[in-house]
This record gives sequence, structure tokens and C-alpha cells, in this order.
Amino acid sequence: MDIITLKELGFTYGDGWLFRHLSLAIGQGDFVAVIGANGVGKSTLLRIIAHIMAPSEGTAYLYGTPVDRFRDWGRVGYVPQNPARRQRTFPITVREVVQLGRLDGRGLCHRFNDGDRAAVEAMLQRFRLTDLQQRKIGALSGGQQQRVFLARAMVNDPELLLLDEPATGIDSDAKEDLYGLLGELNRQGKTIVMVSHDLEMAAKYAKTSLCLDDGGLCFFGDIRAGLHHRHKHGYFFGGGPADPLI
Amino acid sequence: MEIFTLDFMQRAWLAGLVMAVLCPVIGCFIVLRRQSMIGDGLGHIAFAGVAGGVFMGFQPVLAAAVATVAGSVIIEKVRTRMHDFADMVLAIFFYAGMALAVIFTSLNHSGGVSLSGILFGSLMTISPVDLYIVGILGLFVIAFVVLLYRPLQYLTFDEVSARVAGLPVESLNLWLSVLTALTVALSMRVVGILLVGAMMVVPVGCALLVSRSFSGTILGGIAFGLLSVVAGMLLSYYASLAPGGTIVLTGVACFVLCLLFRNR
Repeated sequence: MDIITLKELGFTYGDGWLFRHLSLAIGQGDFVAVIGANGVGKSTLLRIIAHIMAPSEGTAYLYGTPVDRFRDWGRVGYVPQNPARRQRTFPITVREVVQLGRLDGRGLCHRFNDGDRAAVEAMLQRFRLTDLQQRKIGALSGGQQQRVFLARAMVNDPELLLLDEPATGIDSDAKEDLYGLLGELNRQGKTIVMVSHDLEMAAKYAKTSLCLDDGGLCFFGDIRAGLHHRHKHGYFFGGGPADPLI
Repeated sequence: MEIFTLDFMQRAWLAGLVMAVLCPVIGCFIVLRRQSMIGDGLGHIAFAGVAGGVFMGFQPVLAAAVATVAGSVIIEKVRTRMHDFADMVLAIFFYAGMALAVIFTSLNHSGGVSLSGILFGSLMTISPVDLYIVGILGLFVIAFVVLLYRPLQYLTFDEVSARVAGLPVESLNLWLSVLTALTVALSMRVVGILLVGAMMVVPVGCALLVSRSFSGTILGGIAFGLLSVVAGMLLSYYASLAPGGTIVLTGVACFVLCLLFRNR
């Protein structure tokens, strides 16, 4: 079954199209790396799928339902770009952040129960956050913060994970650790769509590449074929790591 | 002990304590959303409500509540449409509120409500009707925050993810504005329009210096709010100082002490 379907999707800020006529389908269990240079619309595409932004034309579907009519948000986990960097001084503990994830898809009046508490405990343990649970989120390292936001996205046991540049601003060990966690989640059946500049890690863990350039979609398919395609056509990714296939 | 036994002092204590809890609870959300000045601005609109209410013969606290709630709803609607100029939109509405207040005040030749009481607070002249209104609306605001604590926390911390979680972000923003407006209108009698914003910001500022959690910041804000009101009222009673100013200065003293203690 297709989890995400894009039909003739287009987006413009008013002066030229960021992408247009973008049509594709992402199936269950896939691990898609959305790659491309800065400014080609990678995060915009993810935000349209997450219904944070509206497309200028076309439709994005989640589980066969147009995203503007989709209500089952408990099936989707979302990790925004640099969430904690914007909130370095915000008074909130690791545990409180993870707890917020239990609201996903449950509506305004959901009351916390034993099931919620057990799920939070399990996530804190799974992402090695138990010892850090009472720490303020802004006091953690970049890698630890990303583990917290991944735990928040996972605490509801979603089927689909949407991640916007999850490894930005973290060191290489933490990056390897984070991608390792994502690979493990994918092996357990989670569908993952991730915006990334990190071609080395994408090649190692993702299955499919969705490559955007100035003209819109330039490749959608097997990750290694995608990176060969990129190398062959000389796409510029701007300051990224060395091409893992060279 | 007459400070606790006189009728008007008992009403003053009750109204002060309601405000001491209410202001930091709402203040926590507005401070963390970087909207610390909104309490001040809504105070201008509350001033217009009181002046208009007196001119038209309505109960001043209720008139202020209606004016601030209506103003906050309109501001929120316009602010979301003119996001890049949100501060300008706020300023325009606040100036309009103050201008309306000036006009209503100049039209009102019958007297009845003291201008300085509105501007600087008139805690000792709170009537039983005022107290009922403060109590009922205060309970409504607290109940609302308790019921929607986690959605409001999600909205304040990460509005984008709250949207993806399926929460009705626009409605929550609107309700938060309405609750802020009600809090401003209710607190106006205690510390006055000019200082109402301070009671929403200063106790939260103290709590932010000593707490690392969201719940701790709200509870700390309430504790500092209560400390400011109790110490401020005692001090103002025995030293014959204006209660509103004394309460706020007590809060500011707490903030300075927290800052010094934190930096040691």
C-alpha cells in the first residue's frame, strides 16, 4: 500500500516554480532520502506532506486521503529542522518533550493515563534518555537533542516518520548513532522520509533517493542508482561531504 | 489584625490572591511565546472598555472584559494575516484603545470612576460584585488552562509540530488570546492598567531563573506571584504605599534576588 502519494504537486513563492508536476508514490517500509542543493524545496516538500504548508497546485495524499482532510495524525511522527536550537532557553525537560508526542492524533482533551506513562518510559529507555529525563532540553548536546525529538516522534508508535534534516549541527559520532537508530526503525517496518544533506549516511541507510534540483524532481528510485545519477549529471550539493560512490 | 478582618481588606486579599495565581499561569504562555508586552497593550484596550462602560452605564470590570476579549480576537485575526508586521498591528490596536479611552473619559461628565483608580489600581475599593466577577472568570481561566495544559504546552514549545500532531493550532491561539484578555481585565482593579502586564511577566521571569521544567515554571510563577501579592499588600498597608506599585516592586525585588542568586 502506498503511504504517500503526490499528484502533480507544485509550489511557488510567486516568482517561478520551486517544483512542479511532481508525481510519485512512497510505499510502506521504504526509507526515502530527499536530497538536493540548498533552496530547491526539500523542506518545503516535506512540509507539504506534513500539512504545514499548502501546495500551490496538485495534491499530497497520506494513506490515500488528501492531507488537508487527513485526520489520523497519530500514524505520523514528525521531527522539524533544528527544533531545540530555536528554543535553547525554553524551560522544558526531556521527559516533558517526549510526553508531548502522546498528544499526536489524540485530540485536545486526551487525559494522560498509565498507557501514556508506560510508552514514555519505554521511549526514554529505547533512546537512552532515562538518565537525562529531568535535564532541560537546551542543556543537551545536539545529538542528544535529536534523540529526544526522535523519541517524541516515536512515542506514539507511528507508521510513518517525517524528518527534516535530522543530523544538522551534530558531530559525526552522534550522526552515525542517529542514522543507526533510523536504520533500525526502518528494519522494524517504519516508513521514513528524511530530508538530508548527508549523502554518505543516506547511501548507507536509505533505500530510495528523491532528488530535487532547480527544475524539480530529477531522480526518484534506488538510492545508489540515484547517487550515480547525481554524479553522472554533476548536480551540485554545495559544501556536503565527499560523494560516497566516488 | 484589621488587615485581615475588615470587609474591604478581605475582598482585597481575595482579589489579589486570584490575580497572583491567574497572571503567572497565563503569563507563562505569553512570555515563552515572546509576547511579553501583550499584557501592557491589552491594558490600553481595557482602559477603553472601562471608560466606555462608565460612559454607557455598564459595570466597569465586565465592560473591560468584553472590550479586551473583543480586541484580542481581532488582534489575533489580523496578526495571523500580517505576520511580518505583527508588532505594528499590536501597536496600532493599543493606540486605538488608548485614544478611545481618552475620548470616552472626556465625554463622561458624570464622574463615578476615578481615572487614577483605573490607571494605578484600586484594590481597597473592590466591591462584592467586582469580587464575584473576578472569582467566576478567574475560575474559568484556570479550569481552561488545567484542561488544555498539554496542548497549550505543545503550542508554546513547538507550534509547527503541534500542527502536525493534528491540534487545532488556530483555535488554541485564539483561546490563549481570549484568556490573556480576561486576565488583563480581571487584574486591572488590583494593580491598575499601567502595571497589569508586569504581574504577567515578573513572576514568570523569576520562575524562569530557577526552574528547568515547564510545569516548574508555572508553579514557580504562581509561588512568586503569591509572594509578591502577600508581601506587597502587607508592606503597602503598614507603610501606607500604593498597593499596585508595591506589589509589582516586590516582584521586581524577587527577580533581582533570583538573578543575583543564580549568578553566584
